[in-house]
Amino acid sequence: MREKRSEGFTVSRRTFLGLSAGAAAAATAAYVIKWPHFDLGGAAEATEGVITEEWVPTSCLNCPTRCAVKVRVVNGKAVRIIGSTESDYSGGKTCPRSHVGLQVLYNPERFTRGPLIRKAGSAKGGVVDLERDFESPPAHLLWPEAISQVAARLKKTAPEKVLIIEGLNSTSNSDLICQFARTCSIVNLFPEDALETGADRLGKKMADGRLNSGYDLENSNYILAFGASILESERPLARNLRMWGKIRRERPNQAKVVVIDPRYSVTAAKADEWIPVNPGAEGALAMAMAHVIVDEGLYDADFIENWTSGFDQYRALLLSDFSPEALADMTGVDTSVVRRLAREFAASKPAIAWSGIGATRWPHGGQASHAIFCLNALVGSIDAPGGVLYQESPPYQDMPPATGAEPGISFREAANLVLNGGVDVIIGVNSNLIMAVPQKADWDEALKREDLYYVHIGPAVNEMVAYADVVLPSATYLEEWAYETALPGSGYAEARIKQPVVGPLHSSRQVGWILFDLVKEIHGETPASFDITSGDAQTFAEEFVKYRTEPLIDWGEFKKKGVWVGQAYEYAKDNPAKYNEIFQTGSGKFEFRSDDLPDVLTVQFSGDASRYPLKLVTYSPVLDVKDGNQNYPWAQEIFLVMHGYGWDILVEINAETARDLGISDRDMVWVESEVGRIKARARVFEGMVPGVVAMAVGQGHYACGKWADDIGVNPNEIIALDYDSLSGQAAFHATRVKVYKA
Amino acid sequence: MAKWGMVIDLDKCTGCQACTIACKSENNVPFGSPEEQERRIDLFWHKVIAVSNGEYPGVNVELIPMPCMQCDHPSCVPVCPAKATYQREDGIVMQNFRRCIGCKYCIVACPYGARSFNYQEQEDREYLRPDLPRDFGLDTKSYIGPWPFPHRTHGVVEKCTFCFHRIDQGLKRIEAGEDIKIGVDVVPACVEACPSGARVFGDLDDPTSNVSQLLASRDFIRLRPEFGTEPKVFYLPQ
Repeated sequence: MREKRSEGFTVSRRTFLGLSAGAAAAATAAYVIKWPHFDLGGAAEATEGVITEEWVPTSCLNCPTRCAVKVRVVNGKAVRIIGSTESDYSGGKTCPRSHVGLQVLYNPERFTRGPLIRKAGSAKGGVVDLERDFESPPAHLLWPEAISQVAARLKKTAPEKVLIIEGLNSTSNSDLICQFARTCSIVNLFPEDALETGADRLGKKMADGRLNSGYDLENSNYILAFGASILESERPLARNLRMWGKIRRERPNQAKVVVIDPRYSVTAAKADEWIPVNPGAEGALAMAMAHVIVDEGLYDADFIENWTSGFDQYRALLLSDFSPEALADMTGVDTSVVRRLAREFAASKPAIAWSGIGATRWPHGGQASHAIFCLNALVGSIDAPGGVLYQESPPYQDMPPATGAEPGISFREAANLVLNGGVDVIIGVNSNLIMAVPQKADWDEALKREDLYYVHIGPAVNEMVAYADVVLPSATYLEEWAYETALPGSGYAEARIKQPVVGPLHSSRQVGWILFDLVKEIHGETPASFDITSGDAQTFAEEFVKYRTEPLIDWGEFKKKGVWVGQAYEYAKDNPAKYNEIFQTGSGKFEFRSDDLPDVLTVQFSGDASRYPLKLVTYSPVLDVKDGNQNYPWAQEIFLVMHGYGWDILVEINAETARDLGISDRDMVWVESEVGRIKARARVFEGMVPGVVAMAVGQGHYACGKWADDIGVNPNEIIALDYDSLSGQAAFHATRVKVYKA
Repeated sequence: MAKWGMVIDLDKCTGCQACTIACKSENNVPFGSPEEQERRIDLFWHKVIAVSNGEYPGVNVELIPMPCMQCDHPSCVPVCPAKATYQREDGIVMQNFRRCIGCKYCIVACPYGARSFNYQEQEDREYLRPDLPRDFGLDTKSYIGPWPFPHRTHGVVEKCTFCFHRIDQGLKRIEAGEDIKIGVDVVPACVEACPSGARVFGDLDDPTSNVSQLLASRDFIRLRPEFGTEPKVFYLPQ
């Protein structure tokens, strides 16, 4: 029997049970419930209960949706995060990731000693041991020394030999990083976000010339989700979750949702229909549906006539090669189902064809995205209520001009630079690139290079720190000044503030402060492109946010409300003249690009089909926190909701396939590709297309801390490096594997 | 006296588990570990469970959010030898950590697996809540509840309380003349956090409450009705 502990009074269970009722009552009364004391980092001494309490309006940054939130701060400690009702973008609600923010802020693996400089001779790569690998300069020198060391290195390196990798950053930090790159003439800027959205954005841009298209889920009647897990990983997540409630039960007509995916996702479980499709065939299936719509004349002739170009060629292409019958083998979908879905889609306006991560991370992902996007044009859903819309941006005050070219490179370019030794300096801002890239071993080798100088800017230890020469500890999003722009989805513009709810803790600095110091040190003075504030580095980030949002809203009000909302959105469908401004293509119209579309018929895989008979698809569950870290127990313990399982990942295999392989549920199995192999627990699951294996990303850490390390594996390790032919985004789903018992 | 109940619309539910995390955050429920999961001794006052049926391609997985059902005839209450678990007048089934002797009879008796035993020493204090007040000015002599939460008690059974502290605080505000309604302005943390609006909380005895109106307008199910526990958590099927 364990003993019950209390102040100055100990009683074992057995004794307690043996006591008479009266004595038991006395014992209960003798319990002293003592208020625990907390280390508040030098803040107000905690005595008892609430001394100070405030709700601070700020915004989340555990995924790119960046919802407006309010944080309850009690006695100087953040204790609770809820959605802000000032923002109607997600109906004042947030997704589960937002609550995890507390564990991001109080992550025990945050850098607490200020900047770190690698000890001469310590080996890079692998597990991170801060004590072993890094020295700390004397306290008073910490920041100046680290900054001047980095600046000196940047000064003597040619700009084309510098690469900036941007993880998940606030909009304002992203803008500052861009401005920093321009000012230093650095063109090599790679946003990790492009690993998820590069192909999809390009596929749509080919049609409309825009990068800000979103889906008007709220007003839609019919949603065809191609490889899109709208409730798990498609952005804007919190808005999707809110609108799901709305379209299912908060209006008279319930929207129908059809999920087309090789994997029975959470969205598929919640949708009206799940259409299992062969991996990589989503684009082809979209073409088959387009064939039916065109063939049966179900398209929006008015829209096609007035606002599109290339339709005749597109029509000819569809009718020649893309009948459901011709594609049935490839897609694995019954022709009658394809025809029915196409007819429903065309008849149930407004309708959305949603190209998701699963459909676009392929060697021809850009083309697949384009093929799916064209369905929206066929039924006249472009800039129509319940269709595709074009998100407006808040009219921020312009930044001062900077001389350099516009930075930004694709994943293919970034990979070529890093893997072929084309860069001498890499700066990572909130990056955990090594966990996100395919064929990890190659990157590990490249980043370990002795003469490569890596500067890590981030709040907590992660796998990239293993390669760092200098670590500049930055504040988390809950300690930062920033503004955020709402992602495409609402149509109307929305800006949100980030303001420090506590800290910055642990002598960390805001990214704005770090960049300002760096740029000043490099140029010897504040360059014109950063000369918009009082020049005080410490308050730079705050002043920058104030400067940029000045045209929007009074500063005091912005801090108090936390949200600025633009005018109601006007759909071009209601005012067709707007179509003239929307399409920024060569023809000024929506373009069907028939030259590229036939590529959707070619699905390439890495690995020989006879040696590696199965196909691996990866997915991001809702509790895969998007900051590249996973040291968050609240997220970890309920990681895979579909399997009621946490603290791990599973190799999800179709039951029949598993039987053929002699694998039973919960067996440990190897998943092997031509790049490598990883071991994980098998999950025999009826919700998988036969011959396909699904694994979640987000685990497999080894340097993030006790709640993330040695938990699960990272499927990216065995994914072969291949690219989308158009956008250069990594083709994550195109790897063949074999699975066998460990 | 109000009779508090909850309605969960499985058609609106997205299986996102915001409810589960909000509950942990609100009530300072300790998080688990891989080992505790393996031994099934991790603590949850609320969890979303997955029930799968059918074969490919006709598979069906139901994601069911599971708070305590707050039964009208709770099977956990009569079995408790220490009278640590009891039903309040408003129907909420409570657990008094100070009386609980950790015998776990109630865990066995509960047909819904809604109760957890606290095996944890709770030495990790990083995420504790210093803010949860000792009480909300409630009369502590006549009032025996699980407060204070931040001081977790090793070796007792814990469970969902429908966030009774919020309700009680709300009632006090109403008493003080504030124009608020329980179930609209004051709701449990899981209801507040639910992004899709799948969860609704309110007074089952009040025909104008959201819960009563939903139950009047839709078919509903209660889990394991054959046990006669009369749960006050209702599910609206997909």
